[in-house]
Amino acid sequence: MKLTKEEYKVLEDIVGSEYITQDPVIMESYNQVWGNKLAFGDKRHNPPAAVLLPATVEEIQAIVRYCNKAGILFKPSARAFEYVATYLASERGILLELKRMNRILEIDEKNAHAVVEPFVTMYELLDAAGKVGYYVGKPGVGYTASVISLACCHQEMTISQLYCSGYGRNVLGCEWVLPTGEILNLGTAGREGGWFSGDGPGFSLRGILRGRAGANGGHGIITKCSVKLYPWYAKSPTQFEMKRQPGEALSEAHLGKVPDNYRVNVLTFPDTEKMMKASTEIGQAELACIVAPAYLGGGSMGEGADEQWARMKEGAQRDPTKIQRSVPVFVNGHSARELEYREKAVLATMEKWGGYLDPEYNDPDTKAWMFQYQTWSLGVGLARGTGDFMVSIQGADGSTEMQLNYRPVEFDAFKPFSKRGSIVQPNMGMSYRPMEHYSLGSSGGIATGYDPWDPESLAAAREYMDLVYDANSPFRRFSYTNRGAMMQVEDIEHIHQRWGPIYDNADVWLQKVRNMLDPNKVADWTGYIPPEYADARAKK
Amino acid sequence: MVENGLEKIVGRDNVLNDPDKLKEYSGGFNFVPRKMPGCVVKPANIDELQGVVRWANEKKIPIVPVSSGPPHFRGDTVPGADGAVIVDLRRMNKIIRVNASNRVAIVEPGVTFGELQSELARSGMCAYMPLAPRASKSVLASVLERDPILMPGVHFDSTDPMLCAEIVFGTGDKMRTGEAAGPDTLEQQWEIGKAQISPFGPTQMDPQRLVSGAQGTIGIVTWMSLKCRFLSELSRAFIITSARLEPLIELSYYLTRIRFTGNIFILNGLNLACLMRRSPREIATLRDGLPAWVMFVSCEGYGPLPEQKVQYLEADLRELAASRGLDLHTDISGVKAEEFARLLPQPSPEPYWKLRSKGGFSDIFFLTTQGKTPEFAGLMSELAESQGFPVGNIGVYIQPVVQGTSCHCEFNLYYNPAKKAELNLTGKLAAEAVNRLEEKGAFFSRPYSGWVDVAYRRAGDTVAMQKKVKDIFDPNWILNPGKLCF
Amino acid sequence: MAWQDFKHDMQRCPRCSYCKYIPWRFMKNLEFMEGCPSAARYNWHAFAAGGKYNISYSLLEGKIEIDDTFLDIVYKCLMDGSCDISCKVGNDLEPLQHMQELRIKCVDEGHLLPQHQPFIRSLRGEDNMMLKPRSERGDWAADLDVKRVTEGKTEVLYFAGCRYSYDKELWPIARAGVTLLQQAGVDVGIMGADESCCGGRAYELGYDGELTKFAEHEAETFKTAGVRVLVTPCSDCYGTYKVLYDKIGKKLGIEVYHITQYLEKLIREGKLQLKKSLPMKVTYHDPCHLGRLGEPWIHWSGKEVKPPGMLMWLHDPPKKYRRGTNGVYNTPRNIIKSIPGLDFIEMYRIREYAWCCGAGGGVIDTYPDFAKWTGAERLREAKAVGAEAIVSACPWCKRNFLDAARQTGDKIEVLDIIELVQKSI
Repeated sequence: MKLTKEEYKVLEDIVGSEYITQDPVIMESYNQVWGNKLAFGDKRHNPPAAVLLPATVEEIQAIVRYCNKAGILFKPSARAFEYVATYLASERGILLELKRMNRILEIDEKNAHAVVEPFVTMYELLDAAGKVGYYVGKPGVGYTASVISLACCHQEMTISQLYCSGYGRNVLGCEWVLPTGEILNLGTAGREGGWFSGDGPGFSLRGILRGRAGANGGHGIITKCSVKLYPWYAKSPTQFEMKRQPGEALSEAHLGKVPDNYRVNVLTFPDTEKMMKASTEIGQAELACIVAPAYLGGGSMGEGADEQWARMKEGAQRDPTKIQRSVPVFVNGHSARELEYREKAVLATMEKWGGYLDPEYNDPDTKAWMFQYQTWSLGVGLARGTGDFMVSIQGADGSTEMQLNYRPVEFDAFKPFSKRGSIVQPNMGMSYRPMEHYSLGSSGGIATGYDPWDPESLAAAREYMDLVYDANSPFRRFSYTNRGAMMQVEDIEHIHQRWGPIYDNADVWLQKVRNMLDPNKVADWTGYIPPEYADARAKK
Repeated sequence: MVENGLEKIVGRDNVLNDPDKLKEYSGGFNFVPRKMPGCVVKPANIDELQGVVRWANEKKIPIVPVSSGPPHFRGDTVPGADGAVIVDLRRMNKIIRVNASNRVAIVEPGVTFGELQSELARSGMCAYMPLAPRASKSVLASVLERDPILMPGVHFDSTDPMLCAEIVFGTGDKMRTGEAAGPDTLEQQWEIGKAQISPFGPTQMDPQRLVSGAQGTIGIVTWMSLKCRFLSELSRAFIITSARLEPLIELSYYLTRIRFTGNIFILNGLNLACLMRRSPREIATLRDGLPAWVMFVSCEGYGPLPEQKVQYLEADLRELAASRGLDLHTDISGVKAEEFARLLPQPSPEPYWKLRSKGGFSDIFFLTTQGKTPEFAGLMSELAESQGFPVGNIGVYIQPVVQGTSCHCEFNLYYNPAKKAELNLTGKLAAEAVNRLEEKGAFFSRPYSGWVDVAYRRAGDTVAMQKKVKDIFDPNWILNPGKLCF
Repeated sequence: MAWQDFKHDMQRCPRCSYCKYIPWRFMKNLEFMEGCPSAARYNWHAFAAGGKYNISYSLLEGKIEIDDTFLDIVYKCLMDGSCDISCKVGNDLEPLQHMQELRIKCVDEGHLLPQHQPFIRSLRGEDNMMLKPRSERGDWAADLDVKRVTEGKTEVLYFAGCRYSYDKELWPIARAGVTLLQQAGVDVGIMGADESCCGGRAYELGYDGELTKFAEHEAETFKTAGVRVLVTPCSDCYGTYKVLYDKIGKKLGIEVYHITQYLEKLIREGKLQLKKSLPMKVTYHDPCHLGRLGEPWIHWSGKEVKPPGMLMWLHDPPKKYRRGTNGVYNTPRNIIKSIPGLDFIEMYRIREYAWCCGAGGGVIDTYPDFAKWTGAERLREAKAVGAEAIVSACPWCKRNFLDAARQTGDKIEVLDIIELVQKSI
């Protein structure tokens, strides 16, 4: 049973009749996200019982308190552009779409942070911050990513993590509506002196806010967040004119050139190992704002998949290993001297490791494309392919040596699938996102393509996922599946059950934290950890 | 006797109950009320420590972890409950690993800065230092306490330079955090190239944050991996002076904004004098010749082309300072910047620098934003004057942190502990100052005994949640009760 | 392609929500970042193109039925194609064509919006959707000294269209249009009361049969009249004649121009001289059917293929998509820029990614509040760039902007490009 009339009325009284619906037709636009076919076997999962659009923290608190009283599951949603983003573990579950909470509340230019509401996109903050000389980072998931979703609830940035960090390390405080409806302000959130610290007094409750991954909406709602900003020496994205030839499609438009206070060089090396080591050295010397090993991107994708395929075939005639031996390096400088030194030092390191500047990657137009792609985005053309991909489900975080040891494990695991051809890893696999000048190592990531509508491809994708999620596989030693329980929807042995025991029982602690935060079990736990595992429930 | 159970775990020689020994751990400094522990136990390894923690749970006896040697200034290691057992971790004093290729070191609690630095230097590395820690200070404890480091440009997160840790929670369970978690031993992890540098998780929480700033109330850390930095091949140090704090803050804001690599911090003349000289007379003489405010900036040459790097850093710094009406000095009133710079990679030579001026000190420190520090410095002076405390006996240390997004602001009230009047005056000023500073927005994020109540008075929601977290990780509340909000 | 043939699209829409915005890399002012009026105005994701893919898929799977809510979602859409343009920057989907087929399906299966019926009856009975008698159609040119094509062979037909024919307030513009052509020495005629609707607006409502009917009728009529060139001041008609007829295989076989194209030609040839200075700060609004939807139709038939070891869906033969690139954008701008004294300033959402005036998709008749809201948003944008006047090239845009301005009390002047040219001659 979904919601009773009375329950609906209570919720309606909180947000107003215009901002709630349970219309079955409208509900069907809240249950279809990419990744669903992999998770549920179909594009659509069960729809929510209702969708609400709260406008204020007070409304959210009232809704959450009522959910506790009535036993209704809830889940916050910003842009809902991710795996299991709209899924609720019970048919008596409601989505709180936060589109009415979309303000940038403050950009503190002196103290380099911004306070935002949940629906503010990365692009909007990039633009507002860019106008005052700041930058936030580049989200892998494209323009519409919510700042709060990335910083507090989900994964986070990609290649900009070299100098803009990520995975929660930029949170300088937040306002958190707990699953009980109470508010928890982390650090100085909400105080007059400014939102400059997310820690304390005492130990930091950011420790239960998120880890490598967030709770994906599973422990309440972050209604405001302060995020750290980073220096930026160019115009904001909206201030750039896109270069486009007459008659060219919009998709061809790109930056005319790399902005003045930046330099882009793509370094190519004799082999991947030298490339990784050179990248590490450059990163550790704090020379660069982006070092993206094997992560070339940007550039015209052609108009349509057919043209893209033609270009890929042409590209495949060239050396297919070159991408894996190459690394784009961006440097910036607040002064001409700084810029000059940094570029010189990068090129000196390149020479030391036997690298060179390949003309294919280093013409001005290609560099401009790459700058735009790596710094902001060029969008996410998922449906240019199959409408889906598995991203970075596996992949470990850490040192360059570890990444070099991990590569063959990953390649070997994927080889049988590669032979079958039913799932593919473009560019021969792993690319790397270093963090904090390599002081945290780097994250490895692969986009594994599959076709959810091809039964063989879907079966292979699931088989591969099972392998990756197998705690007895060769991946076992490298990392707890780094996206947390993103993909666990089936009520069977849980990913956390498999990995927790070999990772210091982390799942036991996480489950205790979850149940402490949500004693009445009303915060949807999909993508987090269930209040109890299926077998424990079955025993009752 | 309680010691019997403990002796079975750690051996008789490692359980202390001599009153003179116990007194070392009982406080009495810095207005922390004395409380004698029941005994002191010294585990040698994690197994013994787990044994002690389990014993404490069974007996419902509080335990207080201590990693540093005496004297203890802040009160976090003084028992907050009767009969508490001090768990002195200094037998666990290995530098487990130094890994230059990843700029990481793994240390046990008993390792001091001096020990770590000399070991790191052999691999061409250096620790991220706080300002002149005392010689007996544990590196691990300093990092857990979130002592600010001198290089804000690379201070990405409040927990830096902490990476991973091995923790024994109040339940006696152990966990390794971040990349250190998993089925392998450390050695096995090293075999596959893991270096315990990725701090996240495991999975969807960050347990290392729960022990950072916790004063041992959530878990006891048995080792920690730390970010280190390359030793500079060369560096140039500068002192920038000003009669007013504001111009230095403006420069500091810009330097931290552009992530200027190097040491950046501000002292008042008194604190510079205390760091550079040993005797009260020498300190007073030097202080009289120094400007009110000094900013220390170093240009660090590590990485490729270090000479060119230092050259451009210096040129940029000079321009930036000049545009704000400031000059770079290499020598002021006999204080050579390079000489001062040489002090910074090491702990404070004896006597500890804060004891040199008057023999005693009372610290007040909190987080704020850089721009507010002049206001707080002014308020501090006002309060001192109003209470008859000599303003000239107040040291100031301003350290931008987390890449300049906030700032550690520290006042050191120097007094002669042998003079009761000074003692009382200092205590009174400290209490009043904490109250007034907090009202004006000072964020006492590290609640030590001088200001716990004030720190938490606006944080009722944090208190409630921290207690619930403690209920999970230390359900019997045996870890250092009476600290934080517990 | 029928509606159910869009299953591939329904399955592959990832829910990126880019359909709600103009293409990101073209945003100039984030106060004007939205591209889809439906998604901007109405609360739920269902109102976006991606949401319509969702509800279509659920309908296809038998999970829901077409009910009032469904129709509300389908028809609270201006069919302006902004979503289509934005989606196609990165994806190979056809959101607009899908929504068109969805409307056709609704009509075919008898799910008719009651609000449409008077207009369809008017079309069927009186050959116009203006709810006016056919006999009054030629009144706009009653005293104009211009040839009627029925009186003899006329090479160039000035086709007024329904809106100009029946909206009295706009008659001066319609008249000015044909007068300009005459002044330039063009041998031009009109059809007067013998004109009939092009059928485009009915098609957009889902009445594809009406389009076919009128296409065949128009073809016959023009052939009989010996028309070789059709010039229309209405962008809707332009889009219908140029693109939609071709789409349904009923290409007219005559040259079709929008009046701006013809005027530009005449100006270039010196046959119209713009001499008078008009000191005014103006901005130009791209009508959807002249701009992105005025891009010539691309015929393709073939199949989807997946090469071995390849996951992308390709086409055999390769498929080119209409992405709005080849709409008419420069021509009106060239005219404006050649008028002395005019200070021309662009809005933030222009060309392929222009914000709709609010009149399209049947909305001006069916949901007038939504239409006016959309128009008011555009006027707000015009004012934001400092324009004193907003200039368009379509009577539907002009009508809706006028109505919106009257409702909001906006002081901005609403002009058609014909008026500017006329004033400058």
